[in-house]
Amino acid sequence: MNIMLKLENVTKIYPGAEHIKAVDELSFDLPEGEICTVVGPSGCGKTTAMKMINRLIPLTSGKIYIDGQNVNRLDTIELRRNIGYVIQNIGLFPNMTIAENIAVVPKMKGWDKNRITERAERLLELINLPPEEFMDRYPRELSGGQQQRIGVARAMATDPPIMLMDEPFGAIDPINRDHLQNEFLRIQDKVKKTIVFVTHDIDEAIKMGDKICLLKAGKLVQFAAPETMLTEPANDFVSDFLGGDRTLKRLNLLKLKAAMRPDPPVIMEEESPEKAKAMLTELKVDNLIVVDAEKRLLGYVNHEALEKEADEVRKVTRPTDSFMPASSSLKDGLSEIFTHDLGYLIVVDDDKKVLGVLNTEDIREILRR
Amino acid sequence: MEARAFSPVLKKLIPVLLTIIIVAGLYKFYGAWAYTTKNLAEFFRLTWEHLVLVIISMAAAVTVGVGLGTLMTRKGFDHLSPAIMGVVNVWQSVPSLGVIALAYGFLPLLGLSGIGVVPALIALFFHAVAPIVRNTYAGIQAVSKDVIEAATGMGMNPKQILFRIELPNALPVIMGGVRTSTAIIVGTAPLAFLIGGGGLGFWIFTGIALMDMGIMVAGAVPVALIAMLADSALARTEKTVVSKGIQAEEYQVAM
Repeated sequence: MNIMLKLENVTKIYPGAEHIKAVDELSFDLPEGEICTVVGPSGCGKTTAMKMINRLIPLTSGKIYIDGQNVNRLDTIELRRNIGYVIQNIGLFPNMTIAENIAVVPKMKGWDKNRITERAERLLELINLPPEEFMDRYPRELSGGQQQRIGVARAMATDPPIMLMDEPFGAIDPINRDHLQNEFLRIQDKVKKTIVFVTHDIDEAIKMGDKICLLKAGKLVQFAAPETMLTEPANDFVSDFLGGDRTLKRLNLLKLKAAMRPDPPVIMEEESPEKAKAMLTELKVDNLIVVDAEKRLLGYVNHEALEKEADEVRKVTRPTDSFMPASSSLKDGLSEIFTHDLGYLIVVDDDKKVLGVLNTEDIREILRR
Repeated sequence: MEARAFSPVLKKLIPVLLTIIIVAGLYKFYGAWAYTTKNLAEFFRLTWEHLVLVIISMAAAVTVGVGLGTLMTRKGFDHLSPAIMGVVNVWQSVPSLGVIALAYGFLPLLGLSGIGVVPALIALFFHAVAPIVRNTYAGIQAVSKDVIEAATGMGMNPKQILFRIELPNALPVIMGGVRTSTAIIVGTAPLAFLIGGGGLGFWIFTGIALMDMGIMVAGAVPVALIAMLADSALARTEKTVVSKGIQAEEYQVAM
């Protein structure tokens, strides 16, 4: 795995505050294509640490390498043009149209006009804003959420390998923030940038990060994948910061696929009700999943349904909404279990084929691990 | 539908028509029309002198004002800026007549003549420069820090930030300063006559001295018209040079 970003004993002492180390001997390696969320209480130095990467803030000591190159040896302007930069308050240029905003870095890099336009259109499509509608509009005509998406598109204009994001969704209302986070993760899935993402929101850090870098008073407390940090917090500060509900937070991270019991007993739609009854008794269960020949979910049957006269199970099958795709989070799955009367959740793939089942006991089991 | 399409034209037309009626009324009533036609050559000469005073002093004031205002926002000069702004603010409060009188009284101390076109231009320049310096400085300072941070982070150098971000975004405020200055200078230029600077002030002050309203109006009305035309021209300029993304929703264009 190629290490894209490497921090080595990075330290920042601001002039006039010599007794405080804003960032204190910070070191970590970030592999290519991963998001590192930098999180911590306010004043912990997370923004300072990020801004030293593109040298908006000069280093006091230590070294930062991007793809093996020491950033202090590179030309500052050139370095910044090769790093996507997104700030909390967006900072779109109000005097320029959306297309011109996106074109800023490509223009400075001397791209020709057609290539710039083409790229701007592609980026707008990527962030789900129709180019023909948005290219020639001005920032003030856009909503906050749209502006922030343009901010992200602008930062990706020249396809930089590294992006720095300073609380990019911090000024956006919770509903839109959630939407933007999901959209951003969807984009990241395609573009695979190496991203340093500063946030003060631990939930956002867990959701967005492949790695979390937790800082306290300039010092690195723990650098780990979210799952590791939630299960093995390095000390009391980490567990306090993660919150008393850190077990529940894992529900957000874990996927149904990881917790489900695979290959549950099922019955084909054309089987006889007698066989279904026999299976119910034999397996000591209350109900049975009914599938078609392709193993696609049709519904369920229970004793009550089987009382009725029928030659095939299909005729007495009851429909159910208690199913979810395997890629959903455990949190959504748990909520679904409590919503429906089946008492468990049927896990399906994208074609609605039954992959497994999940009940609260299974969830408890995996959280205890 | 038709009435709505018609109304913007009407809105613009009414002040124009009103102006024409008032001007024509004044000219007729006081006999200014007769005086002007009788002295047509002098009228053109005085108007030309007046325009020269306004255009040259304004051109110099815009150049120096925008330059100084910009310089004050640069790193290394920012500690001087409060002092300069203090001087500028005090200077702006000196009345027009005072500026002309100061030029008359002060220039001889430097070994220059206090009489003529040059002292008049110097006086007008100093009077015009203050609002432009002030607005340029304020306009650039008002550009959002986030915008500057984004520009820096994206790899713009200080020159690019100044010309592509700071000045374009400060332009509405700068243009406001230029319009204020122009209005002041067109109005102050008649006073240039008092120190031998020529211009339409000649007829205004002659009319007052002879208690001849006709001569006075023949000088005063063109001054007012120049002021209106200049402001209208600047408003149009503003509309073309200021980006649509930061223009006020509706511009006040008098004509």
